Amino acid sequence: MQESSRTATAKIEKRSLSARGNTLRRLSPLATVLLLLLIWLWISDREIISPILVPPPADVAAAFADALADGSLAAHSFTTLGEMFYGLLLGVGIGLAIGYAIAKAPVLEHVLSPIIVAFQSTPIVAYAPLLIIWFGTGPASKVVTTAVIVFFPTLVNTIAGVRAVSPNLLDVMRSLDAGRWQIFRLLELPAASPVLLAGLKTSSTLAVIGAVVGEFVNPQRGLGYLVTSARNRYDTPLVYVSVLTMTAIALSLYSLVALVEWRCLSWRRRSLN
Amino acid sequence: MRNRILGSLLLVCLSVLSVSASDQSILLTFIPNVQFSPFYVGIDGGYFEEAGFNVTLEHLQEPDVLDLVAVGQANFGIVSGEQVILARAQGRDVVYVFEWFQRYPVGLAYSSALDLSDLSDLSGLKVGIPGRFGASYSGLTTLLHSAGLTEDDIEVVEIGFNAPEVFCLGEIDAAIVYVNNEPLQIRERAQAGDCGAVADVDVVSVASQVDLVSNGMIVSRDLLADEPGAARRMAGALGAALREAIDNPAGAYLTSLNHVDDLPQSADFVAELQAASERQRAFLAANPDRAAIARSRQDLAEALAAQFEAALLTQFNVLLNTIELWEADRLGYSDLASWEAMRETLDLMGYLDGDLGDLADAFTNEFLAGNDG
Repeated sequence: MQESSRTATAKIEKRSLSARGNTLRRLSPLATVLLLLLIWLWISDREIISPILVPPPADVAAAFADALADGSLAAHSFTTLGEMFYGLLLGVGIGLAIGYAIAKAPVLEHVLSPIIVAFQSTPIVAYAPLLIIWFGTGPASKVVTTAVIVFFPTLVNTIAGVRAVSPNLLDVMRSLDAGRWQIFRLLELPAASPVLLAGLKTSSTLAVIGAVVGEFVNPQRGLGYLVTSARNRYDTPLVYVSVLTMTAIALSLYSLVALVEWRCLSWRRRSLN
Repeated sequence: MRNRILGSLLLVCLSVLSVSASDQSILLTFIPNVQFSPFYVGIDGGYFEEAGFNVTLEHLQEPDVLDLVAVGQANFGIVSGEQVILARAQGRDVVYVFEWFQRYPVGLAYSSALDLSDLSDLSGLKVGIPGRFGASYSGLTTLLHSAGLTEDDIEVVEIGFNAPEVFCLGEIDAAIVYVNNEPLQIRERAQAGDCGAVADVDVVSVASQVDLVSNGMIVSRDLLADEPGAARRMAGALGAALREAIDNPAGAYLTSLNHVDDLPQSADFVAELQAASERQRAFLAANPDRAAIARSRQDLAEALAAQFEAALLTQFNVLLNTIELWEADRLGYSDLASWEAMRETLDLMGYLDGDLGDLADAFTNEFLAGNDG
């Protein structure tokens, strides 16, 4: 009796320790942010770096409040978000389609890889001005810039994910007379989804870069424009606000995809457990 | 005797130290280009070295140039006048000590088929502009204001620095351009039949409407307090190099070939420029007046146009056009009226939201040659 009570107590203690560990793990990013904020405060308080280059957090907070109050931050953020959304849709869509085709027909890889690698190995800033000329000065050129930058990780992960599907399972499906669509829906898509979603996580953060590069090259609206405009007006706190907003958007999008991944792959966790 | 020898050696060492060139970066904007030829002449011609500077040139974005000078990470930078006003209003204590461009380099390019002799006819047209910032936007605001128009009267299209391409694609009716450079490119495309319906372009420059302060050299207030001699020597060296580039464009182009990778050249062209440069040196030795020197530039342009293809001459013609923006009797001098005109423009743009203080503190002519002591 005493033995079982001791075991139960040990289990409770272990669970409590594990819960505490989880809480600490969850709080650690917050602690990192707080630490960075403290270092920033310390640097600006002692003017170790000129406030022209590193403004005090209070000034950045005031600029944030102003940009929020006059609606400019929201307006520019929505522009960037819109370009990112359509760019992701286009780039991920094309990346999935071509990636799947290459995975199923390796000859396509030989045909397409020189173009794809050449396109990917050239920095986006080098040909972004050309995209502006080809697709005009409106949002289309920014959407295409975003699509181009998110295309490659999607493509690579799609190829890797689809090719990683077990040939034995494919044989089983075929022996059961499964059609192409059934194989895709019931086997390839679920089996490749961990790699596909990992690619989508990378693409979601790259989408911010794509949209902002487009906005830098042809600044009209969006957070890239806000940075350029603030920089040209020597409003360093507003530059910080814009950059931090971009970071927040990228993190939020990454977290959103991670959440989708967690939800969608619950079957996998269960099977692994 | 031994002491005297040691003393002499010490004196020699000290004098060597005192004239040894200090390493200095001059921060420029854009990319290496023939328009920066006075700086190349300053380096290769030994003007900076003579003034005690071992100069390297770096190219950055304009706000970066200004901030690096403001925080003392560089002593000398080249920016446009409006940047000085905007930056001073945001607490950057920089001082403009040498006006390099005496005329504002921005203007409006439009198809010759359009009649824009009266600028108010711009109303309703699509005007391309790199973006709502910098010298181009100040130029557009000034042109509109001088025509009694506002931005609401036209359709502003932000096109980045792609004016020749976008203009020739027919997406805009007119473009805000750098008058020394882009109209030449558009004209060349038009003459090659590569510019849609455009056969030729006309340009109305901002300088023809209002005298706005333009590009020049800045230093920090701290440098002026600690080493005013450095500012004086640098302004003197830049002035001398600028004068040489203005007076001998063939020589300035040849010097630029050492610094700008993609400048058009051919053996015949270089040989002709070398000969022209030698002839110009002999001509300048006779102390001709400014008008005669201006005529000599025009004669050279005509002689070269008769011998070489337009594509080979484009950058040389850019240099000649730019010289017209630099030329003045007193190089480096800027006056309060041009600063006030610029402040008024920035006010119109709604860009001045900080405490600018006294505008006269933004610039000084104190360090120009002839103001020694």
